[in-house]
Amino acid sequence: MALELCQCERESDLYVPRPTRVTRVKPQTTLETMITLQFLDGADLGHRPGQFVQVFIPAIGEAPISICSAPNPENTFDLCVRKLGDVTSAIHRLQGGEVIGIRGPFGNGFDMEALQGHDLLIVGGGIGLVPLRGVIQYVAQHREDYGEVTILYGFKTPAEQLFRDELDSWVTEGQMDLRLTVDRPHPDWSGHVGVITTLFPDLKLNPQRTKALVVGPPIMYQFVITECRLKGLADDNIILSLERRMRCGVGKCGHCQINNKYVCMDGPVFTFSEVKHMWEAI
Amino acid sequence: MTVRVIDKQGVRRLVENLQQEAKVVAPHRREGENQWAFQEVTDPDQICLEYVTTCLPPKEFAFPTRETLVRYRLGDPFAAEAVIQAEPIVLFGVHPCDIYGLQCLDIAYCDEHCDPNWVARRAQMRIVGVDCIPDEWCFCAAMGTATVDSGFDLFLNALGDGAYLVEVGTEAGEKMLAGLELREATAAEIAAVKKRLTQRIKRERQIEEDTRNLPLRFTGKAQSPVWEKHAERCYSCGTCVLVCPTCICFDVVDEVSLDLQEGTRDRVWDGCMLEDFAVVASGENFREERFQRLRHRHFRKYAYLFTKYGRPYCCGCGRCVRQCLVHIDPVAILNDLIAESKGGATRGA
Repeated sequence: MALELCQCERESDLYVPRPTRVTRVKPQTTLETMITLQFLDGADLGHRPGQFVQVFIPAIGEAPISICSAPNPENTFDLCVRKLGDVTSAIHRLQGGEVIGIRGPFGNGFDMEALQGHDLLIVGGGIGLVPLRGVIQYVAQHREDYGEVTILYGFKTPAEQLFRDELDSWVTEGQMDLRLTVDRPHPDWSGHVGVITTLFPDLKLNPQRTKALVVGPPIMYQFVITECRLKGLADDNIILSLERRMRCGVGKCGHCQINNKYVCMDGPVFTFSEVKHMWEAI
Repeated sequence: MTVRVIDKQGVRRLVENLQQEAKVVAPHRREGENQWAFQEVTDPDQICLEYVTTCLPPKEFAFPTRETLVRYRLGDPFAAEAVIQAEPIVLFGVHPCDIYGLQCLDIAYCDEHCDPNWVARRAQMRIVGVDCIPDEWCFCAAMGTATVDSGFDLFLNALGDGAYLVEVGTEAGEKMLAGLELREATAAEIAAVKKRLTQRIKRERQIEEDTRNLPLRFTGKAQSPVWEKHAERCYSCGTCVLVCPTCICFDVVDEVSLDLQEGTRDRVWDGCMLEDFAVVASGENFREERFQRLRHRHFRKYAYLFTKYGRPYCCGCGRCVRQCLVHIDPVAILNDLIAESKGGATRGA
């Protein structure tokens, strides 16, 4: 049977993970840890912020994980992982120095070129901040290409705060306006209290110049999108990253489908315009 | 290309010739049952070419129910390699609907990324098609898959008494006929086969709309009562996806040897009608309700993939409704949607 136009010879390793060294382990909270990775051959992952990789733990399995750093000269990349299943629990057991497997990068990621010249409103709920950290690092590396940057970061309790030793540098070196909130009052917290939408009334945005990048738990989207629209942002300028359970990462297995889109191929980053008519999206 | 005639003895010799170079798989009748299955031919006389649709489509010979994609040795570092196992195989006696199904998977598996395992198996696969015997469930005529004009190396149309008209689809097909010394078909024989096909198509179940318009009929139908009406009886057992020639979805699982020296990553058939198909790590299920899963499956078949690839991802074989415990019927669903979009209310909703 003649299968024409086939690229298969170049893709015989489509499902084969590449050996990757864990160069650093940096626990974040009781639930999340961050690992830094480097391919054994030192090659660059070649990713955009917002893309994901399939992480393979030998003898355990594979899981899709957001990349949490911007490309860097050392060719390392970070993953920040919440302990939820077999693979993520195994990631939490890593000490550093081990070799695990990586496939990818997959998905579209954030189009950092298209965001140039705009003010950015970065909204992260809980571990939604993880893929956005790559954006924040990228913007800090190319600070002159972007306008004003405001980061809203909400978490349930102070103990769940991620990247706590980096947040100051986002403000000082990154020249970004960082606003934190915890959902409910807590003895260890003297800052703003309330769900993330309570940070919106005080925001001064130029809706013509601003692009919002929103990542969080499913429940968060509808409320944050409403706030963004009330601030005058067009639906094209509200950019989301959606979570689904990708198994293959290459548009075959069907698990990550939202209506007619494959999150692993067409996403995970979508504008609200793209998904607002998709009843399975948010 | 001329159409030739092969008689019963010729078919036997053809199969024996093919067995010299490849594994030959053909429909067999299950002992004592009115059911058929594709299995490897050991005795050509056991092949049953005049059969109603098999329980499972032949896609499993290119997309096994379970297949190893990657083999690895544990250790530091681990060593992984692709596993692509393919062998020469002839699918002998495939109905047009199933040929259409294989073509659907060719398109989807080679879109953007090319699945190396599917392609390796298909590259070594030859197809001998045969016209079918419809039953009360199939609707291939409505889907336009009662006949196919490509996707086979040879195609056989029954003339009676075990003889067939032979249509050649590819050069490989022509080579299969070498040495068989077949006579040319007469005009009367060709006309008789055409007439039989036309009559058969008229008898089949119909969809009350040109199928080219189906994606249009799905527009605005996300909230239709049709989905709840039909999903009400669904057991979420997943039989419909497991027997579907155009279903492609899979899960990936790891198997590790008992001595913890090596392991494999295997893919296994999976399906969007199963309850946990769209569950993510946090536990959220994006298609928690039965009607959401039924709706997704039908949108995928008749709208999403149809629009993306220009053909319905349903071959009209009727296996889903035939094997469904409660006979949830895509023809009834489609006709309900069509009636609703033409202005009527959903019957029984």
